[in-house]
Amino acid sequence: MDELTPEQARAALDVVERSRRRVIDEIDVPRWYWAGLASGWIVLGVIADVHHPLVTTLATLAFGAAHSSIAPRVVNGRHRSSQMSVRGDIAGPRLAAWVLGSLVALVGVTIAAALILNADDAHHPVTGAAVLAAVILVLGGPLLPAAARRRAVRTGAAS
Amino acid sequence: MTAPRFDELIHPSTRLSIVSLLAAADWADFSYIRDQLGLSDSALSKQLSTLEQAGYVTVDRTIRRRVRARLTTDGRVAFLGHVAALQAIVATANTSTGSAGDRSRN
Repeated sequence: MDELTPEQARAALDVVERSRRRVIDEIDVPRWYWAGLASGWIVLGVIADVHHPLVTTLATLAFGAAHSSIAPRVVNGRHRSSQMSVRGDIAGPRLAAWVLGSLVALVGVTIAAALILNADDAHHPVTGAAVLAAVILVLGGPLLPAAARRRAVRTGAAS
Repeated sequence: MTAPRFDELIHPSTRLSIVSLLAAADWADFSYIRDQLGLSDSALSKQLSTLEQAGYVTVDRTIRRRVRARLTTDGRVAFLGHVAALQAIVATANTSTGSAGDRSRN
């Protein structure tokens, strides 16, 4: 190897870091996931307001099963597109936990909001609560992979 | 801790960009690498061929005729060793600059 100057070495490390950042930019959860989740949440709310327990139960189970089949592939943030897969150590292990933890918290928010609306004699309390949850999902959901990207940038920089 | 090992094959800027990209990915489509790095099809093909001959990259053709590249174990070891070598050069320079600063202050 010819003598590499420190400046040349820094420039090469910059090349490495730029490529790493390109991959980090791919860490994301597809927008259709948040939209689909929000839509399903509202549909469940509407069904719950019909006051047919069996239908509500079956719809909830179907929604849960559908989510369980889709979520493992998308909530880790590694497969935003079909063109590449981000390595697990780059994406970090926490995004899936953040997403699933947020969904559990959102169930609590939905229940609390429905109880408040019901106490206020709202006509469709569960639908109203579900709409609130859907808005939170659509607006807040993308913030989670954004936080994961910031974390990935801070972790393991080449230089 | 990876042992520093400068790699002449990886070091040229274009190949370093490609290997760095693949090092952060499980795999990447040919079109993704090409578009991200602004390379032509032929330029990228040539670089991947060189890396594949060295055993650093495998290139697979998927069922839908998409070309997909991934770093091999040897390629990852070589990349990490090269990065460690670059970091060692920078660290040595920083240490020398710090020592020179101390001497000038005393």
